[in-house]
Parts: sequence; structure tokens; C-alpha cells
Amino acid sequence: MSGRVIVITSGKGGVGKTTTNANIGTALAKTGKKVVMIDTDLGLRNLDLLLGLENRIVYTIVDVVEERCKLKQALVKDKKNPNLCLLAAAQTRDKTAVTEEQLKDICEKLQKDFDFILVDCPAGIEQGFQNAVAGASEAIVVTTPEMSAVRDADRIIGLLEAKEEIKSYKLLLNRVRPNLIKSNDMMSVDDVVEILSADLIGIIPEDTGIITSTNKGEPIVNDEKSLAGKAYNNVARRIIGEDVPFLDLEEPKGIVAKMKKFFSNLKGETK
Amino acid sequence: MILANLYNKVMGFFRQAEQEEVESAKDTACNRLRVVLMQDRTNLTPELMDRMRRELVELLSKYVEMDKEALDLSLEQDGEQVALMLSIPVIRAKDEEEIKAALEAEDAEKECDDIVEDVEEEQVSDDTDEIEADENSDDEVEIQENDDEETVEDEKKETDQ
Repeated sequence: MSGRVIVITSGKGGVGKTTTNANIGTALAKTGKKVVMIDTDLGLRNLDLLLGLENRIVYTIVDVVEERCKLKQALVKDKKNPNLCLLAAAQTRDKTAVTEEQLKDICEKLQKDFDFILVDCPAGIEQGFQNAVAGASEAIVVTTPEMSAVRDADRIIGLLEAKEEIKSYKLLLNRVRPNLIKSNDMMSVDDVVEILSADLIGIIPEDTGIITSTNKGEPIVNDEKSLAGKAYNNVARRIIGEDVPFLDLEEPKGIVAKMKKFFSNLKGETK
Repeated sequence: MILANLYNKVMGFFRQAEQEEVESAKDTACNRLRVVLMQDRTNLTPELMDRMRRELVELLSKYVEMDKEALDLSLEQDGEQVALMLSIPVIRAKDEEEIKAALEAEDAEKECDDIVEDVEEEQVSDDTDEIEADENSDDEVEIQENDDEETVEDEKKETDQ
């Protein structure tokens, strides 16, 4: 087996890299794939929190690199899904504790046992970014329809294009607010795609459920009713290669429109 | 009171209608982003754009008389292609003699530069920093010219007149 190594990056902080990582990882594992997530945000780890695994971490990636434990010992299994593992970042060290070569080496070893290796990249374009990208051959660039996030995404795309190892990158547009787009107060999905001229892999609506899911340490993909959860599940299916249409985020107004939507959804499902 | 309220409401309605023509927040964001990304991608800072603009004014002034303040230089993107857009309001086309004079003046200046360059090469062949500094302040260059060769200065005077 030779797993796919995908780095999830954004440049700007706070756009939802780690949330995306936790949800795509969980969604991929739910389809039966074997998934490992690597948190490379040394000193500022959070992926463990989003997955509710913070109390189970014994060894970190730095322990692996400094040979205090074996790679397999440092992998923390998810509470629900045995297909899902986490290699946590060290909280007490900085970005220099692991080198590009060491991360590459870890990714290569994990490729033998897992279908997907998701690398959670720290914000910024410094060494932490370089390390995270080192072992990956694919990238997902997370951005939001805000100017600063799009600008930073453009910078990241420029850096990714310069890297030979990165064979493809896709754009994930997070925190989309359909009502603001409708009133022309926010850039639309098309605007962002046109400006960055990159392929889209997902559109995630702004969802207050993300806050509660983070608080509980339970990725939102496990919530069947959540729109953001559905959108993340669709991203996972697209990564596997399925052709899934993008969700219609526009909330139908009035009872007639709602009924129409309900029936068209039914039709879509029976097809 | 009621009348005043009504008046405000009616005026408010018209103001709203006017506001629709104003650029939306989304368009502002898109336009600002396009400009800033173009700068990021091409490494052309606003300072460099300004310099390019000034140099273009200097160049084009030889051929046409134009509104130097209104000259607009901007980068635009059309799909994958980045285009440099230059819009020049022409006040008056220069007549043949004026253009000829301007070109002759330039040719003479070029000759001066060649001579100056030769001298410089002899003096400092590998000091690029100094040449860059020279570009920044014309005064310095002229002082050097004075020191280096008198004939250069003379030629320049002729052409200036």
C-alpha cells in the first residue's frame, strides 16, 4: 500500500485548517479508509482538541524523531473509528524540533500502512510550512471569502507551484455566508475561484455547529444534520475520486420553496 | 413633526435608490484584491509602478504633449494573461520639428552617457552599488561629468538649449 500524503495549508491563521483536517480525516475514515493525521504545528497543537484526544497523548512527533519511542507507539487511535489515528505535535517545543527530512521520512513510513496521511500545517510561510509540505504530494489550500485570507492563499499557491513534489493542489472555501454573498457584501465562491484560478474541492458554509463540535471534541461530520458536516463529507468523497456536486447553500425561503427543495432532494436521492 | 418624518422617509427612499449605483462591498473587495495580488505576483511595488510611470512620461513626452497628472498605468488580468494598461490623455500632438529636436537632444545625451560610462568602467568596473546611487540622484552624475571630462559638459549644454 502506498498512501496519499495531503498537506492542509492556508497561509493565514484562523481560517479553519485544523477544523478541515479533523473533519476530512474523520470523514475519510468513515468511508473505511485508513487515515492518519499529523499535527505539525509544534508548540501550538490543537488537532488533538478538535478530535477529543487530548488526554490520550503519550508520545508526540518529537519523541518519534528523537527516538524516545517507535512511530507506531506515538499513533493515537480515535475514540470511535479504529481506522483513524493521530500523530500529535509537541506542545513544549518550537518548529525547529523536526526537520523537513525527518517529516518526509515519517510520511514515507506511514504510507505503507495508511491510505491517507493528512498533514496539518501551521500558519505562516516559514520553516513550519516548509516542514509540513516536505513529505506531501498533494495540497488542500483552505481560505475564506475575505480579502486577507484570499491574498495569503494566493501566496501559498505560488509557493506550492514552485515545489516539484506537490503534484496537485485544490482550493477549499471555508466559512461561506450565502446571505452575505446574496446581498453583495461578501465575495462569492466564483469570485474567489476566478481570482485565485484554482480548482475547487469544497465549499463549507459558516456553521455555528462548528463551535459546539469543537467544544465537545467531536468533528461535525459526525452530525448528520449539519450542513457544514455534509459539505465536509462531500469533500472526503471528492478526494476519493467520486463526482459529487457542490451543495446548494442557499436557504430556501417560504414554504413552497422548501417543499420544492424537499421533493427535488428526494428525486436526486432515488436517481 | 409628522411632516418632517415623512420628508425624511421620502428623501431616504431616494438616497437608497442613489446608493445602488455605488460599488458594493463585494466589488470593492474584488477590485482591491486584484490590484494587490497583481503587485504580489509581479513584485512590482507601488514605488516601482510610480517610477515606471515617471519614466514613461519622460519617454512619451518626446512625441506628444500630454496631461502628465492624468496618465494612468495599471496592471490588469485577463484570464491567465497579465496586461499592463496605459491610458494617456493627449493634449496636443507635437509637430515634426519639436519631435526632431527632442530626439536629437536625446541622441546627444546618449553620447554623453556613453562617454561617462566608459570613464566609469575604467574607474570602478564592479561597483554596481555606486551606479545605482547615481541613478537616484542626477546631481551626483553631473558632478562626476564635470570632473571627468569637460567636453561632455559642453555637449550637454548645447543640447539643453
